[in-house]
Amino acid sequence: FKMRDKLRKWREDNCRNSEQIVDVGEELISDHGSKLGDDVWIIYEQVMIAALDCSRDDLAMTCLQELRKQFPDSHRVKRLSGMRLEALERYDEATKYYEAILQDDPTNTAARKRKISILKAQGKPAEAIRELNEYLEQFVGDQEAWHELSELYINEHDYGKAAFCLEELMMTNPHNHLYCEQYAEVKYTQGGLDNLELSRKYFAQALRLNNRNMRALFGLYMSASHIAASPKVGAKVKKDNIKYAAWAANQINRAYKLAGRGTKENKCSVKAVEEMLESMQITMS
Amino acid sequence: MGEIELSCRAYVKMHLHACLFPRCSVNGLLLSSGAPGGAVCVTDCVPLLHSHLSLAPITQLALTQVDVWCSQTQQRIVGYYQANACASDSSPTPCALKIADKISEQCSNAVLLMIDGGKMSPHDRVPPIVMYERKDSKWILKDKHTIMLRQWEETRLIANQMLDSGDHALLVDFDSHLDDITKDWTNQKVNNKILELASPANGNV
Repeated sequence: FKMRDKLRKWREDNCRNSEQIVDVGEELISDHGSKLGDDVWIIYEQVMIAALDCSRDDLAMTCLQELRKQFPDSHRVKRLSGMRLEALERYDEATKYYEAILQDDPTNTAARKRKISILKAQGKPAEAIRELNEYLEQFVGDQEAWHELSELYINEHDYGKAAFCLEELMMTNPHNHLYCEQYAEVKYTQGGLDNLELSRKYFAQALRLNNRNMRALFGLYMSASHIAASPKVGAKVKKDNIKYAAWAANQINRAYKLAGRGTKENKCSVKAVEEMLESMQITMS
Repeated sequence: MGEIELSCRAYVKMHLHACLFPRCSVNGLLLSSGAPGGAVCVTDCVPLLHSHLSLAPITQLALTQVDVWCSQTQQRIVGYYQANACASDSSPTPCALKIADKISEQCSNAVLLMIDGGKMSPHDRVPPIVMYERKDSKWILKDKHTIMLRQWEETRLIANQMLDSGDHALLVDFDSHLDDITKDWTNQKVNNKILELASPANGNV
């Protein structure tokens, strides 16, 4: 069953392609529901969440009702009811739902996370941050939560604390180039020579882990250029950074030339990058 | 201050950008191909980011690249737009103000445009946008009467048509470009689509 496999893949990859899930899922359920066996319940859950994302309350209710019938006392299903209330922006009711789950089962992390999501949706970032910090004191290993916290701090321009969260993530995921690159971006944003040097190091590290990460490549180029142009650095540091920047510029040019072959489409971006690199070279020397 | 006109192409692309990433804050630059002085006509826009709007490196990179492209194509950066993820709050964020400040260094009558997510619907009578202009180092609301959108009906229809047909997925912002550099952030494809839909042969006004 191709449709079933598609849904499973999207589940496993945690994709949020809700419109597609709704399309495939709705057809699958209505036309082939009886042939799905036990899979049907997890599919109902997946389709229900996607339906909420697309404002298809009708479809969401259908799935929810089937799940409620089958699993009347399940916390997992109650959380879905809560999510529906969130989608309808009935946040206070949803919060009460989650609090009821937590009274019953204080370790229910899903309910706690939903409560934090509600605070975010209501535009209360300070409270969301506070609750998420409390959550992490208990559940120190929750990667998703650390990442969410780093995003919240970035939005609040609290770069120091965002960096701390990303440091946690890099420690437990040393091969993840995205965390390195995001950490480097935060350091760059904080500014100042020490932070720029750190950012350059981590852009370089991200590239070692994934040499096609364009953000890291550009980041390396920009941080090295700024360090080289700074009046506060000694001759050796200046020379080294000019080398790094030149290497990065070379890599960027190559990548764009490769991308430019065959398509007329990105002619503009290729030319823009070339000129930009040229102009920055001039200011550096 | 001065009058400002928003073209169909600029509005549609902004609108599609916001709709393409409904759960994220998005931002972009407003461009003009007209000469400086007098009324400003925003003829185009470049969608920039849908993640980490407040981090510096990619924003700086994008500003530089768009600047270069503008000088190659006789355009100027005349403003900045942003749509907040939290649709209930359309006020400019600190990073919006910062970028807008930077733009106004080069362009004295630059505008800051916030898309009001809470007001977006297929049947808007007026465009769901709020514009600010710079006066005495502060960004203040622009007088609604100085904002012009010719053929709002047609613009709205085109935007809706493109959303319905899924064409908004064609839109490339700078973030997506960095994920795949073969994608074109000047969006020639989308520009052509908009032209097609706007042509009289298509039955539109």
